[in-house]
Amino acid sequence: MTPEAAIVPTGLAELHAAAAAVGLTVTSSGSWPETDADGEVTALAGFIESDFSPLLAQVATRALRGRAQQQASGTVTAIVIVTSLGDITSATRVAAAVDAGERVPPLQFFQSVPNSVAGYLAARWHLTGPVVCVSETTAGLDVAALLIDDADADEALVVCVDLAVTDGGRHRAAAILVTGPVRPERQGNRRIPRE
Amino acid sequence: MTDGPAAASTPTARRGAGSVVVTGAAVLSAYGRGTAALLAGLLSGQPAFAPVQRFDVGARRVRVAAAMPGRPELLTEVTRAVREACDDAGLSPSDRARSPLFLAIHTDPAIARAAEPDQPGLGPDAFTASVADGAGLTGEGIRCYMSACVAASTAIADAAAIIARGHADRVVVAGGYLVDRDQFALFDAGRVLADDGQVRPFSVSRRGLLLGDGVGAVVIESSESAHARRVPPLARVAGWGRSGDAYHPCLPHPEGRGMARAVTAGLQRAGIAAEDLGYINAHGSGTGQSDPAETNALRLALGDAVETVPVSSTKSLHGQALEASGVLELIVTVLAAREGLLPVNAGFLGQDDRCRLNLVLGEALAATPEFAMSLNAAFGGANTALVIGLP
Repeated sequence: MTPEAAIVPTGLAELHAAAAAVGLTVTSSGSWPETDADGEVTALAGFIESDFSPLLAQVATRALRGRAQQQASGTVTAIVIVTSLGDITSATRVAAAVDAGERVPPLQFFQSVPNSVAGYLAARWHLTGPVVCVSETTAGLDVAALLIDDADADEALVVCVDLAVTDGGRHRAAAILVTGPVRPERQGNRRIPRE
Repeated sequence: MTDGPAAASTPTARRGAGSVVVTGAAVLSAYGRGTAALLAGLLSGQPAFAPVQRFDVGARRVRVAAAMPGRPELLTEVTRAVREACDDAGLSPSDRARSPLFLAIHTDPAIARAAEPDQPGLGPDAFTASVADGAGLTGEGIRCYMSACVAASTAIADAAAIIARGHADRVVVAGGYLVDRDQFALFDAGRVLADDGQVRPFSVSRRGLLLGDGVGAVVIESSESAHARRVPPLARVAGWGRSGDAYHPCLPHPEGRGMARAVTAGLQRAGIAAEDLGYINAHGSGTGQSDPAETNALRLALGDAVETVPVSSTKSLHGQALEASGVLELIVTVLAAREGLLPVNAGFLGQDDRCRLNLVLGEALAATPEFAMSLNAAFGGANTALVIGLP
């Protein structure tokens, strides 16, 4: 958890490996950019001025489309967003508008927290599990494992998104759908020192 | 939008076998620093809302919030609260050095105005690490939760779940929000702030929410750990539940189905019936859609007990502390239950038939609940329920 680590978005390969390390099984995944065709992030209705929420929705949709067509009835899916800086584009624009005494667009209010795009995904894909956002990948996977072990979710959609924050940088995002098995003995939080 | 599953389909919640307790707490609110100031403010029944002096609100539609005087700084105040909670729990320096921090914040307040090359170093991870370092906590296993108004309550639920499973002995959970110009501008633009200057949860003629300062920290640990240190618990974290509505980006499910599942899971983990609840500190934002949805959730999850369990939303007194709400309101719930006085649901003008609950009205209610619940909800349809038990 160093500041330096925050500028390196988690790629799909790292995400698969980190999930395996906490005993989670990846059932589907998606990433962005996936091919050279991934130049511009597709706009998402209701979200403005920033690629954060559209990118999150796009990569999550890729993972959700790849999962088995027939979900067991009543499957509860949690959404765990991992982002080291959040929607830095929106935050910067709002601050600039406030400082300049300009009007803040009302839609910026709704997208000012990562939960909103999670709510969009939850409604679109009928994901009835908890919605969580944390700032680091291992924490996100630990949260996913804990929710499954606790039976607040049967599976979890873990979406890692970070916008490019330097000139010439490129957004990167990856999403995985993970499931148990339930392992009560799982040391999902083994990074926490014991007495 | 799609329908969520009925509460009846809630799977049986699991939890580890361990008993989890709160051994220390510290808080800042518009009533001042410290739990005594907060409790006195709550029991006064006088809302802390006043014209905002901290920054220019001349261009805003609403100009009121519950903010303490001056310009407190978030890193300083959160670090202070974490230190004070550790002091309250009697943690030695070596105890602290083995205790991780789960922190709930929106982000580092400085990041939006920082030069772009500096922004990566100002992220929530770096902020959390600074708090942990400043309070003498370990840098290992720390987390930052940013899930809007359920960030802190989710962090508390996760800490309790981890400890109950025996994966950790102790976690310090903190949250912080100080009324700031950017969030104020956003909420004003979203037209969700109460333009009559009061928060009136579950009332007719309610006009919306108002922001409020909230910084809180709690030490959560296993009963065995507290017993070994000979520290009496303030309360038990008896149960917890988290759920989603699967309904809308920012509106709650009107039938409260998601929140009902969180309440049910909280009761299941606590091993109690709805009738055992002696107080509910409601989410109670005071907005048009949220209060009826929460009422429906409580009616769905509690059945007949909803007619008798006392309910109040103390957001009507201390305001909406966003990411810090969960820890501020857990502390409120613990303080009220231990004091034997349940805070009033302030600002109430009259019965809204869509919000029929047994509200604490007029003045604080004398009661000694054995179990109490703190509820929170957020954009994205996120819901949490925390059940505390008095030791």
